[in-house]
Amino acid sequence: MPKTIKPTQKDKCIGCELCVFESQRQLKKIGLEESLIRIFRKKSADKQTVEYDLEIDPRINILDIEKIVSICPKEVFEIVESSNND
Amino acid sequence: MIDITAKKVLIIDVDKKEYNAKTFTDLNKFLGGTGLGLKLLEMFVDENPLIFSVGPLNGFFPFASKSSIVLTNDGVVEDLYLGGSISTRLKFAGLDALIIKKTSDNKTIIEIKNSEVYFHNEGTDIQSLGLTGKRCLIEFDGKKVLSDQYFTTPDDYLEKIFTEKNIGGISITGTEIFSPKNFDEYKKIYSEILERKDELRVLEGNYPSCSNCPMGCGKSKVGEIGGNILVNSLVACQFADKIYTDIGTVFSCLNVLGYDYTHEDIENLPGLIEETIKNIS
Repeated sequence: MPKTIKPTQKDKCIGCELCVFESQRQLKKIGLEESLIRIFRKKSADKQTVEYDLEIDPRINILDIEKIVSICPKEVFEIVESSNND
Repeated sequence: MIDITAKKVLIIDVDKKEYNAKTFTDLNKFLGGTGLGLKLLEMFVDENPLIFSVGPLNGFFPFASKSSIVLTNDGVVEDLYLGGSISTRLKFAGLDALIIKKTSDNKTIIEIKNSEVYFHNEGTDIQSLGLTGKRCLIEFDGKKVLSDQYFTTPDDYLEKIFTEKNIGGISITGTEIFSPKNFDEYKKIYSEILERKDELRVLEGNYPSCSNCPMGCGKSKVGEIGGNILVNSLVACQFADKIYTDIGTVFSCLNVLGYDYTHEDIENLPGLIEETIKNIS
């Protein structure tokens, strides 16, 4: 079964966007347009800090996902088997 | 496509609610960041400009993650540095600098998408502006200017000028891309710089991080003021000065992106800046 990545520890994300830029580099571009990973900032429920939401495009599995996982300084991602729901 | 052959400056007149994007090839010698910001201050000094600017490496390399802010406070020139995602959004908007000139007669929220500007009245929800994931929101609640709901600048210079100009917030969305000719070499240099994170003068933390910086340090929240001219013109993080005052590294980065700066350009920069400051004074 094909593999994909999931942000299983997104509470650890610090919003550095290294994963976004790595995925873009693998597509030979620098920028945010049509990125297969998107990071959204929002205030935490108690409004004391910032939280991050991550959206992964299912097409991410065409990339070198191990490289994307390893560039994250906070080990937010895990490689999992992709299902039809991913 | 981001154009690196000239400096693209978005000039916003908040009084007339007009804007235009201008391209200046003669400003390349000011490199970017503070160097470019000070020159633009000299050019627009009569119009009370607030200038945000980025350097040639912002958006492209790790730790080149700050934006420069140049303004005058009671006639004194101040240079501040703001972290978060603003540097990458300005760069991906295809801009080297953003000038907000004059004063609005009503509270205005400015929405920027690449080189286009939309003016919104007070009461507009800034969260509804721009493209999520590709934007930076700079919000002002009347007390503190916050970028990405977290990052600030030292002292209250930015807050004073936001108040003076009647600016309620700024949304910046960047959707342009860039692709260096020698992409494999670019990736190699990017990785080499990222591996040098132990050379930074901050410890890794779990705080919100600047875009393109893995450190999550606790120091970026409050921004920076003053510092090394080269680092501030590139606009790298002051804690990455060991990397970005290494001229060999800087030229590797500039060359692989396709910039044609020479060693003389870098050597001449402090003199140019000094002359510009004299002219402003």
